Amino acid sequence: MTDQLVERVRDALRVVIDPELGENIVDLGFVYDVAVAGGTVRITMTATTPGCPATSFLKDGAQTAASAVPGVVSADVTMTFEPPWTPSLIEPTVRASLGFAAIN
Amino acid sequence: MGTRPSLRHHKERRGGPGKIIRMTPGSRRNFFAEPERDDETIMIGGGISRWTMAYFATALTWLLAALALMVAGIGHPATDLAAPDTLVLVHVVCIGWLSLAMCGALFQFVPVLVAKPLFSEGLVLPALGLLTAGLVALLAGFMALGGRLPSAPWLLPLGAVLLVAGFGLVVINLGVTAWLRPTGPARFVLVGLASLCATAAFGTVFAFALAGWAGPTGDAVLARAVPLHAIAGLGGWLTLTAMGVSYRLLSMFMLAPEVEDRQSRLTLAAGALAVVTTVGGGAVTIGFAMGQNVVLSVAAIFGLSCAALYGRDLAGIFRDRKRQLELNTRMAILSFASLAGAAVLGIALVSMGTLTSHSGAFVFLAVFGWLSGLVLAKLYKIIAFLTWLETYGPVMGRAPTPRVQDLVTESRATKWFAIYHLSVWTGTLALLAQEPNAFRVTAAAMTVGVVGIVHEIIRIRRLEDVAPPLRLPAGAAAPHLLFAKS
Ligand code: HEM
Repeated sequence: MTDQLVERVRDALRVVIDPELGENIVDLGFVYDVAVAGGTVRITMTATTPGCPATSFLKDGAQTAASAVPGVVSADVTMTFEPPWTPSLIEPTVRASLGFAAIN
Repeated sequence: MGTRPSLRHHKERRGGPGKIIRMTPGSRRNFFAEPERDDETIMIGGGISRWTMAYFATALTWLLAALALMVAGIGHPATDLAAPDTLVLVHVVCIGWLSLAMCGALFQFVPVLVAKPLFSEGLVLPALGLLTAGLVALLAGFMALGGRLPSAPWLLPLGAVLLVAGFGLVVINLGVTAWLRPTGPARFVLVGLASLCATAAFGTVFAFALAGWAGPTGDAVLARAVPLHAIAGLGGWLTLTAMGVSYRLLSMFMLAPEVEDRQSRLTLAAGALAVVTTVGGGAVTIGFAMGQNVVLSVAAIFGLSCAALYGRDLAGIFRDRKRQLELNTRMAILSFASLAGAAVLGIALVSMGTLTSHSGAFVFLAVFGWLSGLVLAKLYKIIAFLTWLETYGPVMGRAPTPRVQDLVTESRATKWFAIYHLSVWTGTLALLAQEPNAFRVTAAAMTVGVVGIVHEIIRIRRLEDVAPPLRLPAGAAAPHLLFAKS
């Protein structure tokens, strides 16, 4: 039940994209953790640049998307820059399509 | 301070039928800041600077005005470098176009550089008003000086006072913001702002001296400090600031690791020494009525070292990049080529002893190839990015959104940038060959390029290239052309 809810939340988070990279935050590896306790979801996530306005929208978007999942009563999103995100966290298939494979 | 009006509606948003999204206690107090650690608080995300787009639009309007003057053959090369018509052209470009575009970008980016909110949103629009009014008065003063308007000696001092007030608001706003956490690129901005103060101080003395209100000291400064004013403005304020911002923008958009502070500090030190030598050393030579050659040569060596170190830093960013190059970066490379070209041209002219007669060509390449080229490329990117944030940021998580890339059509924009840069290079040759008419033709070609780029930018603001199903998802509002809606 809990695992299913985590999966549903992760799925819902795919509607949130990083505008620059154009891929969703789950495939990009921005979502570090999704934990469920009762109806409360705690999401720990990152972004590429602290202080960038996009970062607030990613956080907000994740909260909105997670809250809309049936079974979720409240959603908490924590932004962290530890450990910092690196392109190695991207899903391999997505990484290739972003042109990362070609360089470095 | 952290909660921008434009984002306030996020605070109490409903998450679905009957559900209130619970925010962490800290986020209720200050949406953008991490609550617990107050001193070292860094901002998680920033706001959208409301008036940045108005600065960009005003700046582009002045750029088009400058091009019109060049096509019409008003100012250098048709007239002398010191002629009033040239002074009009120079300040339309330096203040109207480059300084306003830079200020608009800095209001958005300094908070990102230091991860702190802007000191005051409220000072941004008054500064634009003062700068515009001051520039108009200054230009009218130059025109009166050249006999194009009835004599009115008070116009230049009036313009100077308004400009000092406008730049003062900018310097306070950005300076206080950057001072709170002066990391690598923010230090470039701080040195740039200090150079802006020096530039404005010299300019004010000139303006009062031309009005006959500055006494013998003012006259002595006017007679000898014009190169110092020009170097502090173009080299200190515009170039060092553009360098600082470019470090962060390039590594952000190419996902390259940041240039290490230790490394960029050397680049900045060379640039800062060039400015300090010029301004400080130059002032001493004026005070003691000495020659300026030694001081300016030393400054030139520092300046060249700064450009070379910057080249090394850029090479590092490009080498470690994780993404293919987008249009704005490829076009920025053309402006880096112009910076290198200007350095080589400067060395060549000095060694042939012809810098004085060809300084127009040198400054033209630096101003239009390097500074304007870089600013145009970055405007294209920044405007797309900000337009995305304004339009789609608020609906993220509720509906599918396009990517920033979907707002632009790079294949179409490339040709306008190519036309622009090719015309700048041809124009430099026309100036070197002392062919004023050929220069006017190249200015017309530059205008074609700029009008094309402006047209692309307007299309971005109007979301014209976004495919219809994603264009305006439910809840999204189309952006205004000139400012960020709240
Ligand atoms: C408070 C603002 C400013 C004022 C009042 C001002 C005023 C002046 C004046 C009166 C002159 C003419 C001196 C002469 O008679 O030869 C001049 C020259 C010049 N100014 Fe400014 N200026 C200001 C800001 C700037 C800025 C921000 C820049 C560049 C970023 C700039 C670039 C130049 C250049 C390159 C010249 C030399 C033009 C030539 O000799 O053809 N000025 N300025």
